[in-house]
Amino acid sequence: MQFLHYFGAALGLGMIVIGAGLGIGKFAAAAAEGIARQPGAADRITGAVNLPLFLLEGVAILAEVFVLLIVLLK
Amino acid sequence: MLLSSILVQEFAQEPAAEAHRGFNAGETIIEHVSNSGHDHPLIHLPSAFGIDFSVTKHVFMLWLVAAIVFIIVTWYVRRYLRQDRLIPSGFMNGLEAVVEFVRDTVVQPNVGHKWVNTWAPLILTFFTFILCSNAIGLIPLFDTLALLDRFLFHTSPDSFLNRVIHGGTTATANFNVTAALATITFVSIIVAGSKAHGFVKHWKNIAPHGLNPLIYVILIPIEVIGMFVRPFALTMRLAANMTGGHIAILAILSFVFLFTEMFGRAIAGIGVGMVVSVPLAVGISALELIVVLVQAYVFTLLSAVFIGMAIHVHH
Repeated sequence: MQFLHYFGAALGLGMIVIGAGLGIGKFAAAAAEGIARQPGAADRITGAVNLPLFLLEGVAILAEVFVLLIVLLK
Repeated sequence: MLLSSILVQEFAQEPAAEAHRGFNAGETIIEHVSNSGHDHPLIHLPSAFGIDFSVTKHVFMLWLVAAIVFIIVTWYVRRYLRQDRLIPSGFMNGLEAVVEFVRDTVVQPNVGHKWVNTWAPLILTFFTFILCSNAIGLIPLFDTLALLDRFLFHTSPDSFLNRVIHGGTTATANFNVTAALATITFVSIIVAGSKAHGFVKHWKNIAPHGLNPLIYVILIPIEVIGMFVRPFALTMRLAANMTGGHIAILAILSFVFLFTEMFGRAIAGIGVGMVVSVPLAVGISALELIVVLVQAYVFTLLSAVFIGMAIHVHH
């Protein structure tokens, strides 16, 4: 049973990827749709999307760090 | 459950098999990413106040990056100030583009007209420093030195050259470095709020006014936690991004040695290296070029946003 934490880490990594992928996909889809409807507002849309995108990425990275900690610290 | 028990048994046998194996991928990768250890730093210094002041590799890289940035930037700015025309030439154009980009698209929209000149220097310092130390991690300078040392110089393990090739090159891949940078952001958020509203008003601005007193019981702890989470997230984001790319590249490159050992002949490793490892590593390196730029941008952007949030309170 001493290697079970690897399973947890692997499952966690997979779920992080699912969550972050879904989130970033939604952002990209909404931004692309918005820019397609209003090409003039492209700059403002990109600016508005940037910040929450980075915050989302930060959450995913944090989760990955904790997964790494599970593996390293056991 | 059966499958997992089989896998657990497989795993349990692995350390015994690893003992006589020559190549341990995990250890090699961690050694290439992490700082050089306390037991063999670059320069031995005595410890004072219980803190070991020995210069490790990441400290050395911090100095190197700081020196490079300082010399390049001051050299070109001095030259620009000394020349009699206003149009910059050569590398000054690049510097001007960076300064204008950071000031006009990062600092100005977040901090506002009034405070641009107060906070643009700090944000610019963050940007140039982080960009430089991220980018220097992509140059295999010390790995080339290690190759030369292995086959040409044959220096002793105690020499400075031999110590400098152990450990990672990217100073920003160290959580301590990014924590220090995020601490500067944390302090400057408080300073920005205090300068804009006064010290007491800044702390009152943490929570909106005129709500039900019961809401404050929940709201104030949340806002205080948020105050500490922001620099923590900055720390983790930068360091983990810089470490992650390097680990990915090294893991893919270590397939070469793993396959060589698995099949017992060098041609298997070389084949895997040529077909899978090197093309993938090149792709990830190209991705890393973008990540280097984006992470420097993200750190500065978020710092500017947080400073702006302290100045323009939106409650």
